[in-house]
Amino acid sequence: MDGIQLMAQAMHAARARLEISASNLANVSSTAGFRRSVARVHLGPEGLSVSSAADTKPGPLERTGRSWDVAVAGNGAFSVRGTGGAIESERSASFVADGEGVLRDERGRALLGLRGVVRAGWADAVDARGVVRDASGKAVEQLRLAPGTSLRSGFLERPNVDAVREMVDVLAAQRAFESAQKTLSAIDDTRAKAVNELAKVSG
Amino acid sequence: MNRALYAAATGMAAQQQTLDTVADNLANVDVAGFKRATATFAALGDGLGTAPAGLLRSFEQGKLEKSGGPCDLAIEGAGFFRVERDGATAYTRAGAFSRAADGSLRDAEGWRLHGIRIPADAVALDVRPNGTVVARLPGNASRTLGRIELAQFDAPERLQPLGSALFAATPLAGKPRMVAPGGPHGPALAFGALEHANVSIYASMIEILTAQRAYEANAKAVQASDEMLRIANNLHRG
Repeated sequence: MDGIQLMAQAMHAARARLEISASNLANVSSTAGFRRSVARVHLGPEGLSVSSAADTKPGPLERTGRSWDVAVAGNGAFSVRGTGGAIESERSASFVADGEGVLRDERGRALLGLRGVVRAGWADAVDARGVVRDASGKAVEQLRLAPGTSLRSGFLERPNVDAVREMVDVLAAQRAFESAQKTLSAIDDTRAKAVNELAKVSG
Repeated sequence: MNRALYAAATGMAAQQQTLDTVADNLANVDVAGFKRATATFAALGDGLGTAPAGLLRSFEQGKLEKSGGPCDLAIEGAGFFRVERDGATAYTRAGAFSRAADGSLRDAEGWRLHGIRIPADAVALDVRPNGTVVARLPGNASRTLGRIELAQFDAPERLQPLGSALFAATPLAGKPRMVAPGGPHGPALAFGALEHANVSIYASMIEILTAQRAYEANAKAVQASDEMLRIANNLHRG
């Protein structure tokens, strides 16, 4: 592969790494349940390519004190029904009742129990095993949980983004971009010499 | 690089909004019945950054404190006092009521508590945990004036704020349900006490520090992508 092409690809790769870090940083402390993306740079026969994958490591749990802020401690998930009707799994969400009393997360998905959607009017709290109780402590519903799930009511999962690591990645991407550009310029200089000076008739 | 620039810019805007919200919480730390808010965000997906998803108010119980006010009330548990505001019903947990000349009980902003009228010759008031209001009259007599009922909502988070501690009903909050205080699992009234704002100064300070550092980190990402653009522009040296 041509050196200039390869260096151009290296500059593209560095740019893609910066984009990924910038997006991680944008969500660093504010977006509940956000999963950071990790950049992977591959060198193949076609040159450099960048892909990204979600880092599934759980983020830290933060106490919010709202009983329908629900997060999963450790592994596991609970179930919500999307606005299109599909059942999805989720690990942390702030549920608020809609006009009909159905508990919905930030994206409008309804919290699911074994008997259907969960309504706020009769549901007062949820315990670690997903048992929903009314104000008098009577069990009224059981949430649909993945096996082995332990819930925390009054907690939200914070993004699993480490600002220090992202800042190092930003710097590394920036420097990688610079060195690729320097190498590209050096190759360009060498070629300019070959074209303009080697062929010069001396004297 | 433009994507990185814009993603980092959404991050800076998010931290700015977080700071605004924390500042508002702190400004109301001494307002009885105030409920703290949190700015929430949702990831834009595809590495485009983050977008505001609205304010979420926490109706977590605030601490009750004996205030000694002759008509002060605090709610322990869920629910709101109903007051009349410009002809419409508004809802509040700020229970710093006082007697007005027309016999009504009025909150700190001057709105009238629903359903209670105090006779002019009443010497003092007493409110039981179950909401029963009793007036003490001259000569050791007393008279029951009525019972304060509380309004509960399915989604108090969706009430519309009308100032620091006053709210208006909205369709999204659901219909108000009237409950009598003092039930075995329901709310109770505390007479001579006020509910503190549920704002923790320490938690707010940590939020401010975190937001500030996150803002800086995003600003650095903006600088880095700007620097890359500059280098790319210098590739061509004429």
